[in-house]
Amino acid sequence: MHELSICQSMIRIVDSTMEQHPGAKLQKIFLEIGKGATIEPILLKDAFAIVTSGGPYEGAELVIDEIPIVGKCRDCGESFRYEEIAFGCPNCDSRSVSIESGLELNIKQLEIDEANGGTKT
Amino acid sequence: MTKVDIERKIQDENDRIAAGNRRTFTDAGVLVLNIISSPGSGKTTLLESTLDRIAGEMNVLVIEGDVSTERDMDRVRARGAGGIQINTGGGCHLSAGMIAEVLGGLDLESADIVFIENVGNLICPSTYDLGEDVRMVLLSTTEGDDKPMKYPAIFLEASLAILNKIDLLEHLPFDIEKVQKEIEVLNPNCEILRLSALKGDGMDAWIDWIRAKIAEKKGSS
Repeated sequence: MHELSICQSMIRIVDSTMEQHPGAKLQKIFLEIGKGATIEPILLKDAFAIVTSGGPYEGAELVIDEIPIVGKCRDCGESFRYEEIAFGCPNCDSRSVSIESGLELNIKQLEIDEANGGTKT
Repeated sequence: MTKVDIERKIQDENDRIAAGNRRTFTDAGVLVLNIISSPGSGKTTLLESTLDRIAGEMNVLVIEGDVSTERDMDRVRARGAGGIQINTGGGCHLSAGMIAEVLGGLDLESADIVFIENVGNLICPSTYDLGEDVRMVLLSTTEGDDKPMKYPAIFLEASLAILNKIDLLEHLPFDIEKVQKEIEVLNPNCEILRLSALKGDGMDAWIDWIRAKIAEKKGSS
């Protein structure tokens, strides 16, 4: 359950961006989270709601793009989508598969409202 | 509405601090292992058993990560290690920042090896680079042989897996060959050692592994 720490790291990145937009109100945070990244989107949203309660980011929405796990067979070169990290190549039965995606933990974009923000400083 | 692009890894800050830790360790010529496992798999017992064999030969520091108490630190101090206890106060993992905070209080220059015993947890610590040379996962036979596939993230990241409590194999439905194969499937570059920290089986190979890694690190820095 390290979603709280991940949330705090994410908020520090948001802080540094929001400092450049004084008075703006944060509306949405767009994230990419791999399905193999050991982060539960629901827990991350809960953590975000708790951490931001009563502060300037209260009510902002986390928009999470869950990135599928894609493995590439080291033997036959085919790529496949996996529901979980439990590998085997469905094409040639090789057990040697490398992970191409699904471990992401990225913050992509913010949506902010500059017109309807808080008090301008 | 305005869209502001960021395009950053959430772990950027941790990774930046970890890179600083790694430079500090390399400048001091000290080998650093980050030990990750479930609670009760034998991390501290492995350290005790290791210290009994190497404390006279090399200078060992331990950074102990626990939610609370100094019990683990007391155990390794009694066997001749220096070091420091970090209490995370509920936190489920160590982060690079927590390690950076305590480095100033450690005599890295005169140490040969630093063991970082992470908080007992097979999931969360795998997301946090601490600046170590070797990420090591410990799995014991009492935990069941389904763990590599159930908790794959740590096995993907580890460069060494130790299968502990092999003295209990005859009493348990633990298929050690299956576990070894599954780890190899997840991560063909992960070295695997089998031992019993309590009874001593396999400890000689582990100590030889440590000696070789220390020599390698001192040769490269």
